[in-house]
Amino acid sequence: MNNIVVFGGSSHPSLVDKICGNLGVKPSQVKLGKFSNGETSISIGESVREKDVYVIQSGCGHVNDNFIELLILLNACKTASASRVTAVMPYFCYSRQPDIPYTAKGAPLISKPKESYTFESVPGTPVSSMTSTQAPTGPSHDALNAGNDTENKKHDGPTNLHQPKPVRFAGDGAIHKSPSQSRIPMVPERKENSSELGSLFNANNAGYKLWVAQAGTLVANLLTTAGADHVITMDLHDSQFQGFFDIPVDNLYCKPIAHSYIQYNIPEYKEAVLVSPDAGGAKRAASLADALGISFALIHKEKRSQLPKGPPDASLTSGGGAAISGKPLIASMSSLALNSQEMKTSGSNSRYVQTTMLVGDVRNKTCILVDDLVDTSYTITRAAKLLKDQGATKVYALITHGVFSGDALNRVSLSAIDKIVVTNSVPQHKTVKFLGKDRVHVLDVSQIFGESIRRIHNGESISMLFELGW
Amino acid sequence: MGSNSIKLLSGNSHPDLAEKIAKILGLSLSKIGVYQYSNKETSVTIGESIRDEDVYIIQTGSGQQEINDFLMELLILIHACKTASARRITAVIPNFPYARQDKKDKSRAPITAKLIANLLETAGCDHVITMDLHASQIQGFFHIPVDNLYAEPSVLNYIRTKTDIQNAILVSPDAGGAKRVASIADKLDLNFALIHKERQKANEVSRMVLVGDVRGKSCLLVDDMADTCGTLVKACDTLFENGAKEVIAVVTHGIFSGSAKEKLRNSRISRMVCTNSLPVDLELRICDQIDISPTLAEAIRRLHNGESVSYLFTHAPA
Repeated sequence: MNNIVVFGGSSHPSLVDKICGNLGVKPSQVKLGKFSNGETSISIGESVREKDVYVIQSGCGHVNDNFIELLILLNACKTASASRVTAVMPYFCYSRQPDIPYTAKGAPLISKPKESYTFESVPGTPVSSMTSTQAPTGPSHDALNAGNDTENKKHDGPTNLHQPKPVRFAGDGAIHKSPSQSRIPMVPERKENSSELGSLFNANNAGYKLWVAQAGTLVANLLTTAGADHVITMDLHDSQFQGFFDIPVDNLYCKPIAHSYIQYNIPEYKEAVLVSPDAGGAKRAASLADALGISFALIHKEKRSQLPKGPPDASLTSGGGAAISGKPLIASMSSLALNSQEMKTSGSNSRYVQTTMLVGDVRNKTCILVDDLVDTSYTITRAAKLLKDQGATKVYALITHGVFSGDALNRVSLSAIDKIVVTNSVPQHKTVKFLGKDRVHVLDVSQIFGESIRRIHNGESISMLFELGW
Repeated sequence: MGSNSIKLLSGNSHPDLAEKIAKILGLSLSKIGVYQYSNKETSVTIGESIRDEDVYIIQTGSGQQEINDFLMELLILIHACKTASARRITAVIPNFPYARQDKKDKSRAPITAKLIANLLETAGCDHVITMDLHASQIQGFFHIPVDNLYAEPSVLNYIRTKTDIQNAILVSPDAGGAKRVASIADKLDLNFALIHKERQKANEVSRMVLVGDVRGKSCLLVDDMADTCGTLVKACDTLFENGAKEVIAVVTHGIFSGSAKEKLRNSRISRMVCTNSLPVDLELRICDQIDISPTLAEAIRRLHNGESVSYLFTHAPA
């Protein structure tokens, strides 16, 4: 490997070492740090003149710090006459807005870290008397539902489950500006609509729909401006994201390793069902199901303006063009009347109803939930509960990027997910430590990145790595 | 209908300053929400229409932990306004972040100030208002107009009204600031002295030599920023060793990072004066502040109305 220089940012040093090990090169010398006023400082320790430079930085941890560090590194290499600079971002930050609930007007809502979770469709709203809180039944329930049982025990016992350190969560008020803490408020809590936020999110500007900025294009442009000639990433949430760039973007897939994990590690995988936790991921799950030759199910969230009268139409919910094997079973999990404050104040007098339904049959089967990203873990924990309610015996969650922000780890540990399989595109030692080695399996993606860097460096085709794509 | 009026937006870095500016202009800040998701990504929500308006975004470079967060906030805010069809977007950055990383002083050192300039332009910024840039050449890093305002008129007012000007002498703590200090000395008709320092590492100062006579004088140490305060404290010691009566430090940007607070508390500095270009929470008895919001507000007003800004280079609006 002549003329190649690989720099690692401070976000994920162990992945950098692994990728370099795969390439048979040493990570190049770079000093990363901060000046005392907080400004990022870097100093590159070896010549990059006319070299092929790869900078590896994942979009995790303190995202903005790491992102600015990446930009400065790219720029420093560019101005130091590198012949080509490639940004390797295993997890691409700002590629999607987190899956937290939004109001009808677009304002983000988030709930406080709690001792217990219901994993219902809309946290914090009163649940109607339907099946939602009913415990899953079945002969094998006790043995296989260890997750749910521990949940109950923890509730009763005096010792509460150890919570992950709250990440700058505002205490009682949403706008929290104690000088010792961050001056940046967290996304506001649901209850705070009456206060300062009320003026923003329920203002009298009724005609104007609040607009949450999408930073995707901006991030792409910033990378190009900093001097990136090429971007390598993995399992972008939207493939369209590649179109935001004017430079080549190689979007790698972790499907091959997910495929082999299922084949070799899930007993009787041929009988299992692959489940997509939302309609957006249907294509991903369906493609993996096709490759494995196993059946597929889909969880679908729907917001209706009125309570459904009777079961909804089958044709209405079997969207996505996905092949549904087995008898379609439409289960309306929880019909929740979302008549909370925002709805009233936003001037709508119709009652909103959120329904979550499962399309496909999972009774007495092992379920494998497939998603590209777990952040707050709302979607995946909700999906797992629905699957268990519908009689699934065991729930695996197969995730590419495990960000697990806020109290996500706590949610996952209390959820019905029996085993979580995640790649090391984002550091996972915390996840393993919190959930235990038995409940977490970490897939290594360094080989895929190493191989793509080698091929790009040598000017070989990397389509082979795509052909196994989703 | 866009009325092409001023819209003031504030990030999280310095809401007090933004409110002061808004008050002077007789406006209220636009309703926006700038938050952090639990995954630490920045979330920006704009709560009112800014189509065809003249947008001013006030965000300063501050915070030891959050300086990059504030920078991303600014970039995302600019981009959000751009894509929301604002007519013109002006970034008001009283303390320009990364201003000291403005040259390739070592092999492969990043010129981050230039990068920041490019990032701001990429995000969609049309105009920049800043104050006392560490090196005024940074204006040349931009392809868009940059108004580098001076705190000097406000500083002059402060010195005239709140110090013992009869017995004062101006002191520059390093050779780089000599020009700035000489200009103030001229306007006040005072003498000036210079401290020459030998710097070995960034943020660390070694030996100091005083050029000029300060015996029995009230010394006004003037600089553009006070960061770790190593320079200031050492300069102060040097002045007292040379018989100064008192030492008043006047800086534009009070960053006060690291152990600055401790250093100041243990130092012999009689008074530490800085502007409110950054939020300062030193809580020290010796601290005093110069309000520069009138200058920024007036610059915004003049820019909006297409009037000349040069008046502000020599005069401080009340």
